[in-house]
Amino acid sequence: MNRFDCMEVLSAQLKDELVILSLGGSVDEWYNAAPHMRKASLFQQQLGCVTPQAFGLAVGLPHRRIVSLDTDGGMLFNLGILATLGNEQPENLFVVVWDNECYQSIGGPPTHTAAQRVDIAAIARGSGVKEAHVATDLATFEEHCRKGLAAREPYIVVAKVTSTVRRDIRRKHSDGREDKYIFVRHVEETENIVIMGPSEHN
Amino acid sequence: MKQGAVDAVIRGLKAAGVSVVCYLPDSLFKELYPALDADPDIRTIPVTNEGEGAAICGGVFLSGKRAALVMENSGLRASIEPLARMGLGAGIPVIMLMSYRGDLGENNWWAIPHGITMEPLLNAMRIPYRVVRKEDEIETAIHDAYEWAYAAYYHVAIALSGEIVR
Repeated sequence: MNRFDCMEVLSAQLKDELVILSLGGSVDEWYNAAPHMRKASLFQQQLGCVTPQAFGLAVGLPHRRIVSLDTDGGMLFNLGILATLGNEQPENLFVVVWDNECYQSIGGPPTHTAAQRVDIAAIARGSGVKEAHVATDLATFEEHCRKGLAAREPYIVVAKVTSTVRRDIRRKHSDGREDKYIFVRHVEETENIVIMGPSEHN
Repeated sequence: MKQGAVDAVIRGLKAAGVSVVCYLPDSLFKELYPALDADPDIRTIPVTNEGEGAAICGGVFLSGKRAALVMENSGLRASIEPLARMGLGAGIPVIMLMSYRGDLGENNWWAIPHGITMEPLLNAMRIPYRVVRKEDEIETAIHDAYEWAYAAYYHVAIALSGEIVR
């Protein structure tokens, strides 16, 4: 299964959700696979932070569906978040773990899932996230996206994808700061709230 | 921690608009955590390590709500990686309230590293901080921390020490 194909399948199901995603090749892929979600996606270069940030966003906006696009390397960096999700049971958080069994962005050395003994979905279930599944084909992935985006409990799908990266796509040029402003202004506009307001004059 | 200090922290957090607190419990703030849990206006989220708590607080910031990361100062060491990436890489602030383990007066050998590393780490990260040792200065410190963090969009820390935590 190919990550870009999975992204296109997921993208087709998204409308007013907010997305936080992980580092590496998936950034440019998501930028192209979901052009209508660019402002609604926070592109972060932060191993181990993606699902915790998405959970914090889900806590702050309980009426809004939040999607975390995490990775095997990112999730293994901070497995504790699975236990926190198990305890807190957020009703509006869908987590996709792109599991390509390697640290693809630095050339592909294996992660701990490569030896076929470590199962992130099983770890999630053992942490109290009942709806934690593995998808190895596109139809199964699509079905989990449909269920995960409608679930009233934390829902995780570990997508077993190849380590290939789409190279024939447009690169995203913005950095983390610009991405944050774009994302925050989108949240402000769609939620009719102020997050980063005007400065005081005193 | 005396009841007066617990009350001052909670009043300060509420006055600053905080509605979410992530924490990993420690001994010096022992009385604070159940009080936060019991407060109907504050959602507490116990975390497995303080770095996870920092990242959750960052996500809460993006929602427009206000969060605090409450912890022992040893948690700063566990938080440095997400703090560096969120703060310096994206400008996502985390406001930290920590107990100052290892300050002068410390009588536990295992807490000495916390005291020795806290201020140099905060300085290395260019995180402004205030060490508060008087109960009547807690609320002002918390207020000032949020004012600064929401002007700079960068992390800030308050360390409680002295009679407040002894």
